[in-house]
Parts: sequence; structure tokens; C-alpha cells
Amino acid sequence: MSGILEAEPGDTVLLMGNEAIVRGALEARLSVATTYPGTPASEIGDTLAKVAEKAGIYFEYSTNEKVATEVAIGAAASGLRAMVSMKHVGVNVASDPLMTFAYTGTRGGFVLVTADDPSCHSSQNEQDNRFYALFGGFPLFEPASPQECYDMIKKAFDVSEELGQPVILRTTTRVAHVRGPVTVGEISIGPKKKEFVKEPARFVTVPAVARARHLVLLEQLSKAERMADESEFNTIIRIGDGGRQGIVTSSAPANYTIDAAKDMGLHVDILKLGFSNPVPSRKMLDFLRTHDKVVIVEELEPVLETQVRSLAQREGLGTKVLGKMDGYMPRAYEYDQAIVTHGLARAFSKDLNEAGKCEPPHDLPTRPPVLCAGCPHSATYYAVNKATNKKALFATDIGCYTLGVAPPYSTADLLVCMGSSVGTAGGLAKVNDLPVIAFIGDSTFFHSGIPGLVNAVHQGHKFLVMILDNRTTAMTGHQPHPGSARDPCNPGAISVSIEEVVKGCGVKWLKVVDPYDTSAMIEAVKDALTQDSVSVVIARRECALIAKRDEKGAILKKHYIDQEACKKCRTCVTKFQCPAISSIDKLQTIDEVLCAGCGVCAQVCPYKAIKEAP
Amino acid sequence: MVDVYLVGVGGQGIITASKIIGDAALLAGEKVILSETHGMAQRGGSVVCTARIGDRAGPLIPDKAADVILSLELLETLRAECKASKVTVVLSSTERIVPLSVSTQKMRYPSQQEVVDKMSSVARSVTMVDAAGLAGQAGARMSSNIVMVGVLAGSGATGLGRDRFEEAVKANIRRNVDENLRAFALGFDQGKRAKA
Repeated sequence: MSGILEAEPGDTVLLMGNEAIVRGALEARLSVATTYPGTPASEIGDTLAKVAEKAGIYFEYSTNEKVATEVAIGAAASGLRAMVSMKHVGVNVASDPLMTFAYTGTRGGFVLVTADDPSCHSSQNEQDNRFYALFGGFPLFEPASPQECYDMIKKAFDVSEELGQPVILRTTTRVAHVRGPVTVGEISIGPKKKEFVKEPARFVTVPAVARARHLVLLEQLSKAERMADESEFNTIIRIGDGGRQGIVTSSAPANYTIDAAKDMGLHVDILKLGFSNPVPSRKMLDFLRTHDKVVIVEELEPVLETQVRSLAQREGLGTKVLGKMDGYMPRAYEYDQAIVTHGLARAFSKDLNEAGKCEPPHDLPTRPPVLCAGCPHSATYYAVNKATNKKALFATDIGCYTLGVAPPYSTADLLVCMGSSVGTAGGLAKVNDLPVIAFIGDSTFFHSGIPGLVNAVHQGHKFLVMILDNRTTAMTGHQPHPGSARDPCNPGAISVSIEEVVKGCGVKWLKVVDPYDTSAMIEAVKDALTQDSVSVVIARRECALIAKRDEKGAILKKHYIDQEACKKCRTCVTKFQCPAISSIDKLQTIDEVLCAGCGVCAQVCPYKAIKEAP
Repeated sequence: MVDVYLVGVGGQGIITASKIIGDAALLAGEKVILSETHGMAQRGGSVVCTARIGDRAGPLIPDKAADVILSLELLETLRAECKASKVTVVLSSTERIVPLSVSTQKMRYPSQQEVVDKMSSVARSVTMVDAAGLAGQAGARMSSNIVMVGVLAGSGATGLGRDRFEEAVKANIRRNVDENLRAFALGFDQGKRAKA
């Protein structure tokens, strides 16, 4: 109920996991925080953006996750505490600086928060970022609840500073986006300045330094393992009378495991790991020695399972280990209580009550997310299909505009990651005869589209890049980006011109077009596709959710369908898509409230039956 | 322990509704855990939230395990069928937000009677409320979500007192507080009809 800053020490407030991370960090002498927005991590940055100035910390929305990490490294290497947050795939972008930062280590506490997304609720994959902890050698915390988010971020800063190593805190959607009671302590902000003491033999990773530092990293990791063995976050929870049956679990699955074991009436010991890398091997071996059968319950990859099996083999233990390698637990998608119950029942040979199963109704009208009424992307896609007659290949990118994959537009043929549209379009154009168009949003262009454009110019690739510039990072909640005129966290922020960047990359043909003017857009696309080199169209129109409206709520003017003029051709729903336009029982209508007043549908109607409302 | 399964459409204020339930529980000294799915769902898609009051670790509600289904949209009520059992109290707004698939794929939007019949066959009770109408009556046209929180409070299904809910509404709603409290009160009276 209270804001993040207002809650007093000892208060118990309802916080989202992401908010609890921010409150915890603000109590842990945080000085600098950075991010690039991405679900399910976005609220960390958004909360920081609201409180940073008042709290007295430095916060920025960086251009991408790599830059965000580097800015935080600069502060942490100087000796201040720094936090960088991102979604799981953001860590791929940030992995280059991270892998070597583990070698130099840090002076001030450094915590990377990665929010994983099992089941791909809003992501292009469900990679398991616990592997980064093993890959790079990072101590790893895995909270399972908002209270643990708060407790563990504080601990993570202490561990990082004590070891002089960067630490990872990993959440998942069902931790980051869960709200629960959190009892808070006292806010304690770190200093604003700290002079960097030069130490090139540590911080300049030429080969000789890197070789020496690798041994330091390994030494620190063995210290970290001893800390994990003693950590209060690695505990045994006894269900029923406990006994010789055990479960090892971490993160969100720990919650489902506790509920399932209770509801099933099991007598079992649960070893719940919160400080899970390095694996606390002494504690784990004790657990394996005192239990005959141990089931590993973890979402996604068998990260714990591999290590538990390896420990058991190393020590020659006869403990039976069950998990996903032998098919007891699934390796894809997020878990829930039913999935865990099913796995535990098989592993512990309990009868399974299938009465709880239910097939969801499949004959209901679907309700997928759609582009909003007045969305400029919708207008752009309509125009592109008109200009190309749908005879083109579309490399797309990550943002609201990815929704163009659905009919009626079908303007998405290839997508792998942030910024990939421009690079993949080059390859498509090289080996295909169809015209190729890359769609990329303004924030995504700054994030990682620019190197692809430089490459296309240099290599002489021939395709069209359409920068869908809605003046914001819309999908994740309207965060600013380098092209934004205003940055709430930085009143003096300089807006970087997309046109100047495009020209600076060496692009010879560039047009800026308002998507609401469909004939201009159609002409621009046709013209662009006749060019002999890479061409760029900037489709510029503010996101309809933040655009200025008149007193009737319209961006330009609300419209209606003149039923006498309407020829029932359904072009307005088969070639165009707008949540305000419906076609039910042969009657096409525009919902007056939903209509954003963009006027695009009036240009789409071949019979001029869509008119400005009086 | 009371499990409330909330459904609706992106933009209807379902997350705010769940936060009010969470705060009401916290004010009453109960344990509570809420979940939500963000991201793509914001763009007019189906949205699901959960509120689990009591000693539960996991935020998700298993099939056939909801004590209450609180729905802000008629079609979404039907989509929640799997969470219902013979103990479930269904509290649904009669509001319809017609999805594009009805227009483009020529699918049929079910009638209110069909929704009532189907949900009555799997749940303990079904209560339909004209939440949009009551919100308008309260002078808070956008507050169907608050009306439905009132319905939940009035039904008594959560065991939480009216004053806790009202305090939670005040804590979560910054603008037009009086109108929203009126919307809550109108919903509360409707909720008394529910067989909880």
C-alpha cells in the first residue's frame, strides 16, 4: 500500500517480486542502477525510475543490456554498489562484458538481476539462465517469493563485496510478477562518488592479466561454495514426519513442491536452495547420505540434477536420484502444482488422483493480443501489403509490431532476437529474388539495429529497412530510449536523431513518412523497393496509447460507418485490423468509445463509407 | 484458505482488482499471494490474475480448485471453466468485449444464458452482475472492476470484512475515490445475492 520509499522499518507491505528487489537494493547501500526494459524484469527499472531522484541514487534506462552492464561495471569497479536488471535473453546481449568481469572481479557489490520466463509468456525462448552462473562463475541466488527477493538481493550485495565477485540473482515470471507480503527494514543509500583507484594488473584484461585472474576467480568460487554451505537460504523443510525420502528444489518450483507434498500427505524432507551456485556440496552430500531416494524438482534444464548426480557418483553414494533425465519431471515450460504432483506421485509410487484434470474449452472465440485502435504499426502494415501485394519477405523484430505476424497482415517471416531484422534481411536479400523488408522499432533500432545497417551499407545489401518510430519503448510500458525527447530520469537527456544516425551509417535513400497517410506510405514503400542499395523509411507517429487527444478522445477525428454507403465488402476487417471495428452478422460498425480517431480506416474503405463523425 | 481466480481483458483493471483483494487480506492479518501475467497480454488479450488467501506457497491455482471465479467479462467467464468445481462461486460481469476473432474468423460470441448454463453445470453458484451499468450509476464509468470487487466482498466468499475492502480500495485508487466507493457499495449489495 505504501510506496517503495514510504514503507517504514518493520512495516509489512504487499510488493511485487520486482518491487521487493528495488526496496531491498535501496536498503543495501545501492548507488547506481541500470537496465534495458524487458518482461518480466521491467518493473525493476520502472520502480527505480520513479524513486531514484528522491532516494538519491543514479538510475538510467541504457541503450541495451550490454551497455547497461558496462555502466554498472564502471561504477562497481570504482567501489560503489551497482545493480543491472534485464530479462533472460538480455543476458545474452550482456554476456560479453559479464564473462570477463568475473575475471577482474568487483570492488563495490555488483548484482545482475535476470528475470527468466519459463513457458515464454512474453519471450522468444525459455532459456535457463542458471547456466550463466555456471558458465561464467557467478554466485547465484534464486528467490522463490517477494520476501525472498527482498532478503536475497541484500545478501547478494554483501556476498559480492565480500568475495569481490559479481553475483547473479535470478527470478522467473512466477517470482518477479508475484505479489506478496514483504516486511521491510531501513533504507540505506550508498555514496554518489568514489574515486577509481588504478590497478591495471587486475582491471585491464590483457592475456597475462586474464590468465592470472582466472585462478583468482576459481579460488573465490571455492570460498563462495563454503558460503553457500552455511547460507540460511539453503534449508531443509520437513513435510509430515520427513523420513528417508527427499526432494531438492529451488526458485518457483519450491513453492509448488511444498504445496503438493502437503496436499499429497507425503512424509518427505525438502532441501530448498536459495544460494544455489556454487552448489553447497557439503550440505547436499549430507542430504544424499541421509535419504534413500531424492527427487530433483527444477524448471527447465537439469542444472541441479546434473550436479547432484555428479556428486553422488563422485562420492560413490547409492542414493537413488530421480529427475528429468529419467523422465519423472518435464524439461519444458513452467511448472505448477499439478505437474509437480504428477512427478512426485510417480517418483514416490503414490496413487495419482486424476479427478483434478480438466480439458479447457477449445471452441470459444480466441482473444490473442492485438495492435491497439489507432496503432500506427497497423497503418504501416496495411500500406506495406498494398505496396507489395504481399509478395515480399519480412524480417521482423521485437516489440508490439511483432503482432504483425497474425492475419490480416502476416508481415513477419523471420525473427530470432532484438535487432535481428536488419542483419537477417541482409542474408535473405542475398539469396532470394523477392523484395525484402526489415521492420524494426525505434528503441530496438538503437538497441542493436545499427551494426546491421552499417553492415548492409558496407556490403551493398539491397533491402528496405522500415524503422517503426512510435517515439517510445511501447511493449514493455513506454520507457524512454535514446531518441526520446524527454527522459523522466534525466531531464538534460539529449535526443539522438534517427535520421542523422541512418545518414551517418551511409544510407543514401531515406524518407520519413506519417503512417496515418496511407497513400504516402504506399508510394514511399514502392519507391524504396526500386533502389539499388539499402533504403530506409522511418514510419513516424507517436504510439496511440500516449498520443495527445482532443476533447472527444480522438488523435485526429473519430469516424463512423455510413451503413447506407457500406457495400459489406469487409475490407475494413480482412485487409485492416482495428479493435474498434467489428463485423458481426454482416453488420460492420465502429465502437465510438474505442475509436482512437486516426482516420486510417476511412482511407482503407474502397467505397468511402467510413466518414468523420460529426 | 480462499483461492480467487480473476479473469478479464487487458485494460479492464484486473490487476488493480487483485491488488485490492491482496491489501484487504493483508489488512485483516491474513497471508496472501497474488500472480499476474504481463507483456503481450496488455494489448487487449485475455488476462488472468490469482489471489490466494491463506497458507499457500505457490501463486497458481490448480484446475477445479478455485473457491471464487471473479470475472470482468462474459466470454472470459466461460474460458475459466476448468478452474471451477462444485464448491466454486462464480461472480461475473455481464459486460461483453467482442474479440476480433468474432469478426475475422466469424466465430460466435456466446449468449449470457449459455454462459450461465455452462458455469452452473460445473460450479456451485453463478451470479451475473451488470457491472458496467452500476459503475455508470456510481459516476465512475471505468470502474466495473471496483464494482466486481464489491460483489466479491458482498458475497462473503473471502471471509474478509467490508471495511477491509473499503480501506484497500482507498489505498489503491487515487482519483474519484468517492465515486469508486459508491461503485464498490453498489457491487456489495449485488454480491449479497450470491450463494457463497
